[in-house]
Amino acid sequence: MADRITLGRVLRLLAISAKMDLLWLLRDTRYALLGIGGDIVSNVATVSGVFLIASRFGGIGGMNAGEVLFMMAYSTMATGLFILFGSGNNIHISRIIGRGQLEHLFIQPLPLGVQLATCGFMPFTGGGNLIMGIVLMAAAVRRMGLQVTFLWFFSLLAYLLATLTVIVARSYLVSSMAFYAPAAAEEISSTAIDGTWFMSTFPLSGMPAFIQIPLLTVLPEGLMAWFPSLCLLGRPPLNLTAYYPMVFALIISLIASAIFRKGLTHYVTKGSNRYLPHGFRR
Amino acid sequence: MSPKVQTDTSRTDSAVSIRGVTKTFTQWQRDNTGRGLLKNLLKPEKRVVTALDNVSFEIKKGEFVAYAGPNGAGKSTTMKLLSGMLLPASGGISVLGMSPHRQRRAVMQKLGVLFGNRTELWWDHPVIQSFAWKKVVWDIPDALYRENLAMVTELLDIGGLLKTFARELSLGQRMRADLAMLLLHSPALILLDEPTLGLDVVAKRQMIGFLKQLNERAGTTIVVTSHDMDDLEEMARRILLVSGGKIAFDGGFAALRNELGCTKRAAVNFHDGTHREIDYQDTRSLLRELSAMDGVADVSFTQTSLEEGLANLFAKWKNQRP
Repeated sequence: MADRITLGRVLRLLAISAKMDLLWLLRDTRYALLGIGGDIVSNVATVSGVFLIASRFGGIGGMNAGEVLFMMAYSTMATGLFILFGSGNNIHISRIIGRGQLEHLFIQPLPLGVQLATCGFMPFTGGGNLIMGIVLMAAAVRRMGLQVTFLWFFSLLAYLLATLTVIVARSYLVSSMAFYAPAAAEEISSTAIDGTWFMSTFPLSGMPAFIQIPLLTVLPEGLMAWFPSLCLLGRPPLNLTAYYPMVFALIISLIASAIFRKGLTHYVTKGSNRYLPHGFRR
Repeated sequence: MSPKVQTDTSRTDSAVSIRGVTKTFTQWQRDNTGRGLLKNLLKPEKRVVTALDNVSFEIKKGEFVAYAGPNGAGKSTTMKLLSGMLLPASGGISVLGMSPHRQRRAVMQKLGVLFGNRTELWWDHPVIQSFAWKKVVWDIPDALYRENLAMVTELLDIGGLLKTFARELSLGQRMRADLAMLLLHSPALILLDEPTLGLDVVAKRQMIGFLKQLNERAGTTIVVTSHDMDDLEEMARRILLVSGGKIAFDGGFAALRNELGCTKRAAVNFHDGTHREIDYQDTRSLLRELSAMDGVADVSFTQTSLEEGLANLFAKWKNQRP
């Protein structure tokens, strides 16, 4: 029983999560497929609505229809990655904290970070949006005639990683409130993450700077798709550096990490008398 | 039964060591008057509750210890402290020679924890799938997993449950499956918080029998809490009685009976239809007394239950509490 966390061990943990996901899907395939289908339809509807408006009017707010499609594809891929790795309340962490269920994690012989990074991996029930996003991205790249080089592809992955980091850090940051007010803040992560999606597919290019700047800092919805997409298209907005999303992701994750650790210390010091048996394991 | 107990690398023969541990909690207080509501807005009233007050005890490897006390005595708090879920306000805790807080991962490789009111099974999967999940997460070697799976399947009689989804198990079945899962990594120390909670007579007998076997044959150290004193007396050889956050008694069950003044009673029926009850401590003197009696038709023996004695004691403690 090795104590070291090797890449192989992490892959085995991801594999068991994937296997559980597949078995869950096969248990009630009809409902699972309906759920996956509903997710995809909902995402496509959001994307196509904005894209059709952009097509009809020759673009929105300084972005042409192709750029809007590219941004939509990026947003769908980011959503897809979130669902792929975060379907087990591991990103909606305020639920686990608020329900007093962290104790289930404490008794596992793994670092909390490794548990949380691997336990929500659900490629079979959560892969639909990512696949849809990849298809849309391919369509956007083709429509715009972009040259896909290795460097560009690497940049796409780096921006997606930065976007995902911002989502996770933002969720963990606000979820830390659940350490102090478990009942009131149990669902705070869903409020934060759902809020992220609302504006993520809206082209901000035509907005004045006093709206754009807060949406890149205080409420970083602009980093969900708009800013990274324009960086990938070679024209970062507001004369900011193209590395801004990575820098922001690093800063917010450091802040979230410090505040979450402080909350965790509070949890093990004060305890939680709000254990709810539901919602930890699906 | 030959479950492979993991080699404990610690040099000490102590399984659990608690030294001067104090744990306090803060409780919010509020009455339902308008003034109380207003006061709560401005300056919320809080009360500090001492769950454990400078508690010290030691449990040696291979012991089977009952940890008992009235509601709110600090039993579950102790279990959570031992399993690293809570930090003490002061004092030191050592589990298998390690700190459950600083060496949580190493401790968890050798510790098994089961709370009666919660499950580690995956709700929407068959029991065997939860076991397979545990094998990966605990990184249990194949041979050990197979051996322990066969052992728990036979002894806990869960062969028929392995393919059943956890959500469809009865409480007794779920507890057996949870206990089986707990044992898959061969823990050297097991903490059980109310494991017989809600179980029927048959399920309880199975659970008790299995735990006794595990302790006697595999030498696994077991610490168990329960409100059922008869269960505890049957399972454990030592009892730690906790009340008001302090250890009120530490010893064997016979000593506890003496401490509580639990009496043995002989009920004598005479041929003439009369009846007499004799409280006694020494059996020899009772026999002398009986042999001196005329017209004895029948004698039956009873003893005050531990539960009755403890109920009186708990009520006394409750009244003494400030």
